[in-house]
Amino acid sequence: MNLSGADTKFRGGFGAAWGWELLKLRRSLVARLITPLLIGLVPLASIGAVALARSPELPGTAAVKFAPYATGDLAATHLLVAGQLLSVGVLLAGGFAVAWSYGREFSEGTAGAVTGLAAPRWTIGVAKALIIAVWLTASAIISLALTLLLSAAVGGQPGEEAWQNTVTATLAALLVVALVMPFACVATLTRSPLGTIGVLIAVVMLTQILVVLGAGNWFPYAVPSLLAGMGGPDAADALQPWALATTAALAPVAILTVARQWRTLNDI
Amino acid sequence: MTALELHGVRHAFGRLRALDGFDLRVAGGEVVALVGLNGAGKTTALRVLAGRLRPDAGVARVLGHDPATLPAEAAQSFGQLVGAPLVYRELTVRENLVAAARLHGLSRAQAIESATTAVERFELGRWAGRAAGGLSSGNSQRLGLACASLHRPTALILDEPTSALDPAGVVIVRELVRSLADDGAGVLVSSHHLDEVSRIADRILVAHAGRIVGPLAPGSAELEQQFFAMVLAADSSPRESA
Repeated sequence: MNLSGADTKFRGGFGAAWGWELLKLRRSLVARLITPLLIGLVPLASIGAVALARSPELPGTAAVKFAPYATGDLAATHLLVAGQLLSVGVLLAGGFAVAWSYGREFSEGTAGAVTGLAAPRWTIGVAKALIIAVWLTASAIISLALTLLLSAAVGGQPGEEAWQNTVTATLAALLVVALVMPFACVATLTRSPLGTIGVLIAVVMLTQILVVLGAGNWFPYAVPSLLAGMGGPDAADALQPWALATTAALAPVAILTVARQWRTLNDI
Repeated sequence: MTALELHGVRHAFGRLRALDGFDLRVAGGEVVALVGLNGAGKTTALRVLAGRLRPDAGVARVLGHDPATLPAEAAQSFGQLVGAPLVYRELTVRENLVAAARLHGLSRAQAIESATTAVERFELGRWAGRAAGGLSSGNSQRLGLACASLHRPTALILDEPTSALDPAGVVIVRELVRSLADDGAGVLVSSHHLDEVSRIADRILVAHAGRIVGPLAPGSAELEQQFFAMVLAADSSPRESA
């Protein structure tokens, strides 16, 4: 075997970086904890929340909170709740995963070890983001599919409204995946998993404040939740296409930024 | 051919001047050892060569290229172990080796073969299927060395490669370094162990106060006394380069 020369089939190293990052994510505690939560807990919580909302024994204060789910098509309501849960859950799950994936390279000192490799450093930074995006998207889609199945098992019959809610929930989940990507830049900038989680918490708090103030329509981190109906049907209808486009555009901007950050890392 | 080169490199961390006109050159086929007291600038110099730190001034070259922007073709012939190794605790020893080989530019088949060779060379067979996080510090260092060198680089930087190794591990590193140099690689090794570097190095350079202050002859008697004499002399006339 000749190991001294270049592998002529080696093209830029992205394939190697992708396989390596995928293996690391598969083996990670973060993925092992989050994946079942997204895939399992969201469908179960959706079915449970609707069952609770329609229970005659629900006390008054809780009944008020659950009122939006107390009436209407059963399957459509299950998907409505699933979309709303995913619009928050995917952000938190993705934020933690990104904080771990990027931040650990600095806290464990391995960011320096990935320097001088045939797979350029930027391919590793980009592979991390794309793998987390694919993983979150797949988890969200599986979660919605399981919600549909569970809904059918408890008597829900997916009609036009349910399918519409499924599409909306999928779109909301995809937008949240896009919103996770900027945290890769934050993690690279702060070089700290905990620092990234701190920024994640701050963004969630800021989103809540802006939504309460009625300014959520233009704030990307509020858009998926509003689209999923957390602000009610009127707030969802009020969303403009440019708000959706701006939210989605954060993903490519963040990935290009993180590529540049990883290409130019210094003092590691 | 020059494998590794620093010329007039200067760098400061805030008000602390870490490198102050650091010069060295490692030709293909030779092993150069860098020795010095703590804070002499050895690791900072190696970080510059590894592309992990851009110096304030001066020139760094790895196989003729700026290490901060090393092209893939040159990177395939470069290896470095400075600080934390390219090892992830959740992956097994073999997975770490295969991944490192792939990242160094080997094909999947070559990576598997080179990982097997590395497991044998570094005597990691008993732990090949275990997670790297469970390794002892010595075996962890063996794994890190294997990940940095399994692609048989022609320019290699090793920072304190034997610090956690048992005598058997030290012999393995010595044989690895010599075999790479015999194949034409330029190897730069930093160490605190004068006796050890004396056995493997073709040249020994003494770093002090951020620059090279002179050479020591490998194999010569009283290396330790020569070393301290050189350091004291440099302190007496800090800008006089040997």
